[in-house]
Amino acid sequence: MTTEEIRAPASHATMADVRVPQERQSTLGQRIYRYRFVYLMLVPTFALLLTFNYYPAFMGLYRAFFKWDIGLQPEFLALGNFEKLFIRDDIFLKSLRHVSLLTSWRVISAVTFPFIVAELIFNLRSNVHKYTYRVLTILPAVVPGIVILLLWQFIYDGTHGLLNAFLEGVGLEDWQQPWLGSPKTALYAVTFMGFPWVGGVTVLIYLAGLQGISDEVIDSSLVDGCSGLRRIFAIDIPLILGQFKLIIVLAVIGGLQGWVAVFVMTAGGPGTASMVPGLWMYNNAFLWNKMGYASAIGMFLFVLIMCLTILNVKFVKTGDY
Amino acid sequence: MTVLEGQQQTIQRLPLAEGWRRAWRTGDWWRHLGLFGFLFFMFLPFIITIIISFKDIPQFDHYPFTVTFPLHPDNYLEAWRIVSRYILNSIITSGTSVVGMVILAAIAAWAFARYPFPGRELFFFGVLALLMVPGELTLIPAFLLVKDLGLLNTRWVLIAPYIAGGQVFAIFILRQFFEALPGEMFEAARIDGATELQVFRHIGIPLSQSILGVVAIMHVLSTWNDVIWPLVTLRSNELMTLTIGLYAFRTAWYTIWGPLMAGYVIASIPLIILFAFTSRLFVEGLSSGAIKM
Repeated sequence: MTTEEIRAPASHATMADVRVPQERQSTLGQRIYRYRFVYLMLVPTFALLLTFNYYPAFMGLYRAFFKWDIGLQPEFLALGNFEKLFIRDDIFLKSLRHVSLLTSWRVISAVTFPFIVAELIFNLRSNVHKYTYRVLTILPAVVPGIVILLLWQFIYDGTHGLLNAFLEGVGLEDWQQPWLGSPKTALYAVTFMGFPWVGGVTVLIYLAGLQGISDEVIDSSLVDGCSGLRRIFAIDIPLILGQFKLIIVLAVIGGLQGWVAVFVMTAGGPGTASMVPGLWMYNNAFLWNKMGYASAIGMFLFVLIMCLTILNVKFVKTGDY
Repeated sequence: MTVLEGQQQTIQRLPLAEGWRRAWRTGDWWRHLGLFGFLFFMFLPFIITIIISFKDIPQFDHYPFTVTFPLHPDNYLEAWRIVSRYILNSIITSGTSVVGMVILAAIAAWAFARYPFPGRELFFFGVLALLMVPGELTLIPAFLLVKDLGLLNTRWVLIAPYIAGGQVFAIFILRQFFEALPGEMFEAARIDGATELQVFRHIGIPLSQSILGVVAIMHVLSTWNDVIWPLVTLRSNELMTLTIGLYAFRTAWYTIWGPLMAGYVIASIPLIILFAFTSRLFVEGLSSGAIKM
């Protein structure tokens, strides 16, 4: 430690800033040498990332342009896989319609029901109650996802299911059906499962935003006679757009990637009545060994998710107040 | 930004907020009513699961959704015999990977946060970019990679990729946190002769316990709940994690609802215990306002 560094103004945030004047005079090589131990700190992280993340990601992009069946030599097809995907693969095109329904509902439900619950909790007067409700809403989130899926499978069960029993109880026997087993209802059953669609984590994210609104804003709105529903639309929602944006991005990604639910509940069936692209990829890869074709579907999902995320971040503007 | 700040915010704004709310509102009863409504339907499936888990087959056939006597706690014994192995496997997998992940991510995030080494932003972008890569793109090549490495059907086939993938989000969150820590403290320690390593271990880490906890819990939740990766990489029943074990259990025990539901209940207990010990951390970490775009 040199005296020069010790005399540096204390207001500087990190020692990083303190050392800057010195660094201007040293060459790049010297600077790299000075921080050699920092690169050492990053070696394990990047070794793992390169092996298990970067290599597969690039391989996935690369092999999407090949006919690549396990055990055979890869054969370069250029855009052949994509041509087949969008022109000749009817099941894939159908799966796109399915996934847009699934994703739309996910977005709609994620920006409404959890937000209502967050507003209800936020406006409670007692802090003890607030805390209790926060813990209670998050509690179902720690039940393993697979358990929730299997439970919903039971709720929809044709002979023993809770939903059919409920319909019988209220005198709507005509509506009873094997919800997941009928081609007419399977997709909708998968889409609308999770009633009442209140994700605990989502509620907490909204709540965090609401708590971050400054008291001055709320007070002045009250002075101006803005309260209740009007305050929610005029103040709360514009001020927590950052949170809404995040939730929408997560819902879109979750919807496009959410094929595990379909896999567990219906395996895409009956037939292909509830097929989604992710599951179609899985089937191609692991049932039929068509790795190149499946990689093409994976690449398509990657590009789609990236475009939608960028669109959302760009065009849903975060208000600056 | 930090968990601590979140707490302070709540405490500071309460008197004011309490005041204006009391002034223009007579009661909260309808809010409680609304919340009760939501919570009732959120918990209903779990309540019914617990009820069914105590039934034998005739009881379920006649009164599927109400409590029936005698209760059959032996369903739990039967389910435990099958599920316990899967739980142990999940604990080993998630436990090992969370320890490895937190250590590596903390070291890397510290490097990114506190040293202006050449190429810092480039390397950091290299990590961040991976947040955009969905599992769909990497699933197939990653599967073929672990197959070539001879890792298929071993514990490492889960642990190593979990450590690798989990770091990405953790480094992103931890770097922000480390950067916001007051630099004067570290400067003072250095002047007193502390080495870089000592600063990290004795000041940095203790100050960051809460955020490390949040990152760790989120990692445990996501690895514990993973379905697809263990499904394609594990074959032997001895190694199966809870998710795919339960999936197989469901297929084998379909319509024997009592033990099946008991298995679901048992499967939920480890995470509920974890949550009981860390709920404060978890709720406040998520409520601190750090998580938005």
